[in-house]
Amino acid sequence: MATITEGPGELGRKLVANMERMTRDRIGGAALDNARFNLRFKDHGQSLAALRKEKVGENDAAIVIAAGPSVKRKDPLRAIRESGFKGAVVCTESALLYCLRNGVVPDLTVTLDPHATRIVRWFGDTRLTPEKLGADDYYRRQDMDPAFADEMKANQEIMGLLNEHGSKIRIALSSSASEAVVERVMETGMQVYWWNPMLDDPDTEGSKTRELYALNRFPCVNAGGNVGAACWMMASAVLGKKQVALTGMDFSYYGDTPYRNTQYYHEAVSLVGEENLDSVYIRIPNPYTGTEFYTDPAYMWYRETFLQMAGDAHPECQTFNCTEGGILFGDPIVFEPLADFLGRHS
Amino acid sequence: MDVLKGNFKTKKDVKIEDAGGAETLEDRFEREALKHLGGSIAFVAKKKVLWDLDEGGK
Repeated sequence: MATITEGPGELGRKLVANMERMTRDRIGGAALDNARFNLRFKDHGQSLAALRKEKVGENDAAIVIAAGPSVKRKDPLRAIRESGFKGAVVCTESALLYCLRNGVVPDLTVTLDPHATRIVRWFGDTRLTPEKLGADDYYRRQDMDPAFADEMKANQEIMGLLNEHGSKIRIALSSSASEAVVERVMETGMQVYWWNPMLDDPDTEGSKTRELYALNRFPCVNAGGNVGAACWMMASAVLGKKQVALTGMDFSYYGDTPYRNTQYYHEAVSLVGEENLDSVYIRIPNPYTGTEFYTDPAYMWYRETFLQMAGDAHPECQTFNCTEGGILFGDPIVFEPLADFLGRHS
Repeated sequence: MDVLKGNFKTKKDVKIEDAGGAETLEDRFEREALKHLGGSIAFVAKKKVLWDLDEGGK
């Protein structure tokens, strides 16, 4: 094992600067391949352009529900339900199980990650077996919805819930989604709105985004690197909501979370060793909660991209982080308790 | 100590890689990380949020 000279978080911060390129290199090809395959489903559903003309929610507010670790500690849906919130509820596909098992059918859900096997789990994987689970501890290891700890049982539950409620759910379905996800979405009868994720600058020569657009003519959306940011983008730029609250958007882990329960633990250990993990993970105090959170390079990048996108958003759109934890704070985001936001919009 | 100097001539010149090109720990980490680490999708800095030729981009 090489000697690590970097101090706490330093190696992680170096990687953050390269995340944009690393993501583009790793994801671009798969996203395009999936989009080519998904051309056969082009007429199953509508373009995202149609969603821009629909009335979703009864006022100009929206709440994004993502699946960060705060969800199980804060349970935002309890307060949302009790408040009688009339705006739009937009959730990540990873938060679908949380919504449906709490009796909430979201107004819109979003999916974009092209991963061939993992993302379909949020929709219920009809081909999941204990043998497949044995080879991949990605979900059961992480600090997320405890319902996912018993993976076969959770898979059965989400399959049943989506088979029952799927037809009531609108989904902003990225052309980059895997074959397994698209087939499952079609099978459950979800209301599909197709879109393309920007893969690069569409105004440059040889752009993959431009190639995607030529392929299917769906609107291209700057998705901010992750599905939570894409939900915010849908709420603000597509649904036209002026007040958007975020919940479950931690982009980090609670300070007492073991490294083993983080997303890239295995990769970090294989490179720097268990004893040097402090060089990879970045610790950030949250001045609003008075507590410390830590993050990895990918989530740190998500934070930076989100702040940039929020800063570039239409001036009439205000963003409120009601996660009540995590590392997503800073201008122009208002960090406040969910109860305060609900008090103004219910 | 005897030093083995070679007892035949190679048919082609053998070039020794410059040691300055040695992979750093950061390079290694990035190469390793690239296999698994990264966002779910790209982010395009400073571009408009929606791009649709039919609507002129908004």
